[in-house]
Amino acid sequence: MAGVWIFAENLQQTAELLSIGSDLASKLMTTTSAFLIGNTDSADDCIAFGADEIMELPALAGDQPLDAYIPVIVAEAQTADPDVFLIAATVRGKDIAARLAARLKTGLCSDCIGVTFDEGNNVLEMDRLAYGGAAIQKVACMTRPVMATIPPGTYKPAPQQSGRQGTIRELQAPQPSPSTVLERRPKETQVKDITESRIVVCAGRGIERKEDLSLVQELATALGGEIGCTRPISEEAHWLPEELCIGLSGISVKPDLYIGLGVSGQVQHVTGIRDAKVICAVNKDENAPLFGAADYGIVGDLYDVVPKLIEAVKKAKA
Amino acid sequence: MPNIIACFKWVIDEAYIRAGSSGELDMRSVNYKLSDYDRNAIEEAARIKEEHGGTVIALTVGIPGGTKGLKDALSRGPDKACFISDPSFENLEPSQTAAILADVIGRKLDYDLIICGEGSSDLYARQVGPRLAETLGIPCISFVQKLTIDGNRIIAERKVEEGIEVTAAPMPALVTVVPDINNPRIPGVKDTLTASKKEVITITKDDLSSAYEPTLRTVSMTAASMERNCVKFTAEPSDITAFIEALAKEGVLR
Ligand SMILES: Cc1cc2nc3c(=O)[nH]c(=O)nc-3n(C[C@H](O)[C@H](O)[C@H](O)COP(=O)(O)OP(=O)(O)OC[C@H]3O[C@@H](n4cnc5c(N)ncnc54)[C@H](O)[C@@H]3O)c2cc1C
Repeated sequence: MAGVWIFAENLQQTAELLSIGSDLASKLMTTTSAFLIGNTDSADDCIAFGADEIMELPALAGDQPLDAYIPVIVAEAQTADPDVFLIAATVRGKDIAARLAARLKTGLCSDCIGVTFDEGNNVLEMDRLAYGGAAIQKVACMTRPVMATIPPGTYKPAPQQSGRQGTIRELQAPQPSPSTVLERRPKETQVKDITESRIVVCAGRGIERKEDLSLVQELATALGGEIGCTRPISEEAHWLPEELCIGLSGISVKPDLYIGLGVSGQVQHVTGIRDAKVICAVNKDENAPLFGAADYGIVGDLYDVVPKLIEAVKKAKA
Repeated sequence: MPNIIACFKWVIDEAYIRAGSSGELDMRSVNYKLSDYDRNAIEEAARIKEEHGGTVIALTVGIPGGTKGLKDALSRGPDKACFISDPSFENLEPSQTAAILADVIGRKLDYDLIICGEGSSDLYARQVGPRLAETLGIPCISFVQKLTIDGNRIIAERKVEEGIEVTAAPMPALVTVVPDINNPRIPGVKDTLTASKKEVITITKDDLSSAYEPTLRTVSMTAASMERNCVKFTAEPSDITAFIEALAKEGVLR
């Protein structure tokens, strides 16, 4: 037995992984198998997205964490000996992948952003970012299965094909796990997705008070754009939701225009704006690294510069 | 009173890495640092000790040159450090790091709680914590933003996509922490002085029970290039006008 295996938390992610998974399966001349969590009715959809086999994981008890599935998955993998195991790089997915890899005594490429199959040597080469995004690390796994976590959104979902056939198999229910979930607290507010925004104005640590975010918002509004932030603003100050945090541990944006206000431009942040068309920086430190990554920079105090910019933008657009 | 192990890594400070002319990484002027989120791990261990008593050991695996890292870690509150060191531990991949840590922890150290940063700032693979827990066969709660000790269990607020998962696990257990969990202290002169008097247990490769071969091979490491105009303006009115004109010319003002 062999195959390309897929584990994701929802159907969208599964469809994305089936896109690259089916591609690899055809190159490796093998099949694809996808895990499905809980009593879903999406097995047929998954088959249409390209899965040859569905392994259904019975629903968890309300207080069981997702990692309760680890022993079930390990047992299956030890019997079936997959070639490749792709897991959606969600928070829980990353955790589960690392623990599966430890149990299966194999290598794992974390946050894989590209896979190429070297046919001559019969190896999969996988790309990921290292050093905060300053480098691209290409890795190859020397053990079986070859494992990778792939961030959601890296691949487009596989197209649905009608009339595909596949098998569906129900796996054992997981045993009680040592950890229990006491409470699940959903996020209070829905945050606008800025990954596709045309203009993004980013608030950095140079913003002194939470109230001053209104200045950032005002510039964004004048430009017809959205507001984003650096990690210290979302994670340390908690002034903005983490969905707006741009960079390695947050989101990547690809606007026509990005303006960083009081953003130093550490590589972990810059990694998230690499695909922006025009990058601008406003910073009072002329040596701030963001100037080196920007097309246009203004050296100055943002509290002086931003009001002037708002005026000028309004005038230019009038 | 919990015995706590805080794991840390002494890493290349990525801010000093330059792109070489042919796409290679220029490491000539690099400096090292205590990996960012491991500072949060050590701080959390120190904080728990202040509240509940117990001991804190700072544990690391690396090359013998990493002794500066030990001092840095010890200046942040731990009672002692344990240094697993060998010249061949230069570029360990996550499975090796986790296996070596597990070997030493499992055979030589007493613990109730292990705290790791969510990921190291160099590779940021976020594997070592979960792999270590799995190898030791203890519960793992990763990406924790708030941690409490409740008798002989831990209660952790874990940050996931949809919000917070409050999870409990019996000790011994392992957690990985995200930077929101605390504000790491900035060690003062006194902390640095006391740090140099603290005990360091050194463990060599010969003390390990296996060789731990890599499972992942780095094929190449290349600089992620970013070519930009780098035009600078001042805050003078004429420059602001020129800046806006430049944006208009780029066609990004609509
Ligand atoms: C593993 C890892 C992952 C990370 N992931 C991310 C990520 O996804 N996203 C992210 O953003 N960061 C991330 N970081 C953190 C990153 O390294 C930086 O610490 C962070 O981006 C810095 O944010 P900042 O620029 O807002 O703050 P700072 O670095 O503090 O910069 C503030 C800047 O504001 C300027 N300034 C101050 N006052 C003014 C003023 N009045 N006018 C103009 N300029 C002013 C200063 O000169 C300075 O350059 C990560 C770090 C690690 C280790």
